Parts: sequence; C-alpha cells; structure tokens
Amino acid sequence: MAAFTEEHVDVNGIDTAVFTAGEGDPLVFLTGAGTAPGFDGLLPLAEQFKLILPHHSGFGSSADDTSITRIEDYVLHYLDLFDALGLDEVSIVGHSIGATIGAWLAIYDGRRVRRLVLAAPYGLRVPEHPTIDFFSLNDDEIAGYLANDMSVYSHYPNPMTPEFLALLYREGTSFARIGWERNYDLKLHRWLHRLTMPTLLLWGTGDRLIPSDQASVWAELIPDAEVRTVPGAGHLLFNESQEAVSAVADFVGAEVAV
Amino acid sequence: MPTVDDIKLYFFHHHHYIDVRENSDVKSTWVVPPGDLYDPVKGHELYKRHLRTIKLADQLNFDGICINEHHNTVYSMTPATSLMGAVIATNTVNTPKVMVAGVPINLTTPNRLAEEYGMLDVMSGGRMEYAFPLGTGMEYWSNSGNVNPTQARAQFRESVDILLKAWQADGPIRYEGDFYNYRFLNPWPKPFQKPYPKLFVVGSGSLETVELAIDYDLGYSIVFIPIPAQIRAFERMREVAEERGKKVDPDDLIIVVICYVADTDEEAIREARPHIETFFSWFHRVPPKFLLPPGYVSTSEFLRRASDPALAHGTEASWDDMVAIGRIACGSPQTVADTITTWCEEAGVGRVNVVLELGDMPEWKTVKNMNMFANEVMPRIRARGKEATVTDTRELVGVD
Repeated sequence: MAAFTEEHVDVNGIDTAVFTAGEGDPLVFLTGAGTAPGFDGLLPLAEQFKLILPHHSGFGSSADDTSITRIEDYVLHYLDLFDALGLDEVSIVGHSIGATIGAWLAIYDGRRVRRLVLAAPYGLRVPEHPTIDFFSLNDDEIAGYLANDMSVYSHYPNPMTPEFLALLYREGTSFARIGWERNYDLKLHRWLHRLTMPTLLLWGTGDRLIPSDQASVWAELIPDAEVRTVPGAGHLLFNESQEAVSAVADFVGAEVAV
Repeated sequence: MPTVDDIKLYFFHHHHYIDVRENSDVKSTWVVPPGDLYDPVKGHELYKRHLRTIKLADQLNFDGICINEHHNTVYSMTPATSLMGAVIATNTVNTPKVMVAGVPINLTTPNRLAEEYGMLDVMSGGRMEYAFPLGTGMEYWSNSGNVNPTQARAQFRESVDILLKAWQADGPIRYEGDFYNYRFLNPWPKPFQKPYPKLFVVGSGSLETVELAIDYDLGYSIVFIPIPAQIRAFERMREVAEERGKKVDPDDLIIVVICYVADTDEEAIREARPHIETFFSWFHRVPPKFLLPPGYVSTSEFLRRASDPALAHGTEASWDDMVAIGRIACGSPQTVADTITTWCEEAGVGRVNVVLELGDMPEWKTVKNMNMFANEVMPRIRARGKEATVTDTRELVGVD
C-alpha cells in the first residue's frame, strides 16, 4: 500500500505540512483536532484518489499561527493552500472540526467542492443530542470518549512522557483558540442550505463525543445529503473501522462511476 | 543588587473556608468542589472570624493589610475582592495601607474596575494599593467561556492599558482595542491618590509579565514558586528595566512568606506543620488540568512544568517539597526575622506579604502567631543593621 509523502508549503508565511499519497482526482482530508492517533488508516483511499491531508496550523507538523482564532480563519487558510497547490475542484472529507471547516469552506466557495463528506462533524447546536464539551473531560476520560476500540492508542507511550503530554497540550491550545468559548457554532444551521453538492453524513453509532443522533439534523438542513452510520465505531471512526474508510471511497468515487 | 533599607510587612489574609474533609473523595477543592460542602451558617461565622482577624492585624503595627481573590474554591471566601476591600478599609484605622490583590482585570471589564478601585481609594482617603493578577489557571475554568485562556495575556495587557489611560486622562476618551471598544471611557470617581495608587502585577516569572510591569511602571509581586525561580524573575525584571532606562526599586517588589513563630524552632514547626500540610493537601488540591488550561502557558513552559515532579505533583508534596517549593519560615523570632531579612536582601525586595493564618489553623493559633510576629519578629526586622536590641515586649493584643 502507498505511504504518505510529507511536503511543506509556505502559506502566507505559515509553514504548512501536507501529506499526500496516490494518484487521481484530488481528495482533501481535513482532520479533527488531534494528530496523535495517526492517519495511516486512510491510505486505502490513495488507491483511488490523490489523497491530500494537510495538518492544521498549530497541529502536528504544521507551524503555529496564533492569528487563527475562528473556524473561518482556517477556511481562508485552506483556500490559500488550494491556490498554492493549484487545486481548483476537489472533494473534501472532513472529520470532527475538519468537517466544520470543510462545511464552511463549501458554504463560502461551493463551486470548488465536488463532493463533501462530513464525518462526525463538530459545531452544530443540537440541544436534544448535545456535543460533549471536550474541555470539561478529565484527562483520564478523554481516550474513552474519543474511541471505543482502545487499540487505536497502542502506539502512545505508556506511561505518557512529558514530551507527549506537551504535544497534546499544544494541540489542545490550538483547538482552544477556535473552540474554547462554546462547542457549537451559532450561525452554522443558518447557512447549511448552501451545501448543494452531494454530501454524506458519516457517523459511528458508538460516538460518545458527538452523538450520531445529530446526523438527521444535519441531513434536514443540507439539500442533497445522505446519512450512513458505522455500527459501533466511536468518534475516531477512521482509526477504528475500515468500513468508515470504504464508505468514503464508495461515496466520493460514485460520481466517477456514473 | 540594590540595598534594602526598609522592609514593609503586610498582613496577607486568604479568607479560607475552613471546613476540611481531608480524607474525602473530593478530587479538587478548586473549580469543581462539591457545592454541598458549603454551609452558609458556617460561612457567616467564618466571615465574622476573618473580620476579627483583620481588626486584630490593624492593632499590630503592620505596614498594610492585603487580600486576594479566587473563584469556585474553599481556598477563598472572597470571590469579590473589591467588596472585601471596602469592608477592610472601613473597619481598620491604624494600618496605613490596604492592598487589594485583586480582581483579574481581564475577567471583569477594565472600566468597571477603574470605577470600583477609584471609588475605594476615594472612600478610604487614599489608603489603597492594588495588584493585578493574570489569575490562576483555575480562574479560567471557573469563568470558562468569558475569557479564552489562549488570549488571556493579550487581553490582560490591554485591560491594564485601558485602566491606566482611564485614570490619567481627563475624560471622556475613546479607546479602540482588540478586546474592548469604548466610545466614552470616563470613570467616576477617579482615585484619591494622584495619578493613581501604587500598583503591582502578580506574576510567576514569565517574561511577558515582567515586561508588562516595566512597560507600565508597575511593581511586581511574585507568587508561590520555587525560590530560585523567584530570584530569577526579579533579576530579569531589573535587567529589562535597565535595558529600557528604567529602575526597579526594592519597594516595587513583593515576596509572599508563609510564617509561624513560636518560642523555639521545634515548637513552631510542631504547631504549624499540620496546618501547612493541610494548606497544600486540601486548600490547594488541584488536578494538573485545572492549573494549566490550554494556552495559559506556552508549550515549552508546559513541558518544563510537566518534567518537574515537584511542580507536576504539587498537591502531593512532602514537607521537604513544600519547604523547597516556596518561602516557608517557621521558627523562633530570631530564626524568622533572620530568614525574612536574608530573603529580602538576596532578592533585593522591600516588601513582604506575610501569611500568618495557615490552612485550617484554629483561631487561637492565628492570634498567637500574629502577636508573636508583631511583637517579636517585626521589631527585629525593623531594627536590623542598627545594632538595636529588641526590647519591644508589648502586651499581647487579644480579640475584640
């Protein structure tokens, strides 16, 4: 199977790490608010697509950008990155906050987005099925809220080293810059009707952080949305389930087959 | 190192909620202490006790009385320090200064604080001093949502800027900032002392806070961190001042000392130790998560703290750890006087905030300790270098 190639792109002065694998139509994967679980589980997508996975500023191998304080700042950062990479039309798969970024990017610049996958998306206010406040979780609870299958953490140092804790602290800080005030976006539901491209809501039924019951609310607000759930998978569905990865391949590849 | 000619001794009172459940399964006495731990009847009795303590301090010849503020915690019964400042200013007559240290200025609005502090200074006839803390990490959880800890330092700096401009300008003035936008900034009343009372920032040694103090000509009060780190912070402060053509006076620098005085060193440690241990194990029972909300410190500073066992597990500190972590002076009058004097001279510091009620100490020990300090230690510190023998053996002052 292909491996990721890491390159670094200067996006308006911010060193941005971009991991790519495979050839084909561009599929941009926007990650959740953490790089520690890893992304190798996505590599089967590289058999069909050119998989492009940037690290958000302030996460993983990308540099910090303290001026990013809103989701919209990431949207504009990624439009800059697409320009820098010469990407005109792409499919976007976003996970968690990456899905929020992807949704907003498609709200602003929908003609650029062919197909959109929102996997366990963060940010919609659903009082009946509220998102758990990540920042309120005790340190020893977080792993269990993110995944049901604890083997996804088997590469973590045990016990955790100060260096590993510092890596988590840095990413927690970057997440807090955009997400400390509240874990929902007051305006998102107002504009989701602009997502006119084919859109898949993909969710693990065992997601303890953002309940899969939110999927139907998203689907009602998005004109051309379908919902697919992955039985048992938690919030880190792509690390836990190859079925989740296959669902992305099926949905994004469907148009090609038509 | 400047010579320390004069050491000012302030009585620093924490207003703990004294009802210790040492062996309970309470995970944290900050941010999330179970609400049913609080009994308002007990609280009322404790406010009365703390006021007795303040009135006693007022008779004991301190240079000042100092209070501070914390939120969601048994550590402090004063989440609104301006309120308590008003109570103290109107219930004391002998003590020259009252220091409110203080409202984290970015957790309120700076114009409101300019008004409150101006009002207090006018009411007290110019007896107030103020210190601005960034607030512990815990304050950002307790006020979560209002201030993003990743922005806390920038917002703090802008808040200081606004408050000082508001006090100095003949208003109204306009202020267009990153965090606050005022069309008509114009606090009434303005402070009694001109241009404004003596001000400090409270810091833990970070360069940003040191620079803030120098930029705005504020004094610097160091929190309870290991002594070498305190000394480094003061040295850094003098260096930064010199680079900018300014000067730091010993009167601009404050250390905090936890202190217990008895006839002998052994007796002092025997009487104080259980309460100091409770101070750490109960009143300062805080999981690391609450100490460092995301972005409250830089990643490199986080790594430094996570790598230092004494800091990473502060609430499980041994006696030796505690004595190593900060300034704890327990002993005979001569021991305590010598220790405090040495610390001031080593650090070039002219002000000491002395904590004399420790943890869950019973009131009789507080009273005894305060009297011993005032009658036996203060004269020794004040007479040092003057070859004066200490003959001050005033009557013990009791509780009124």
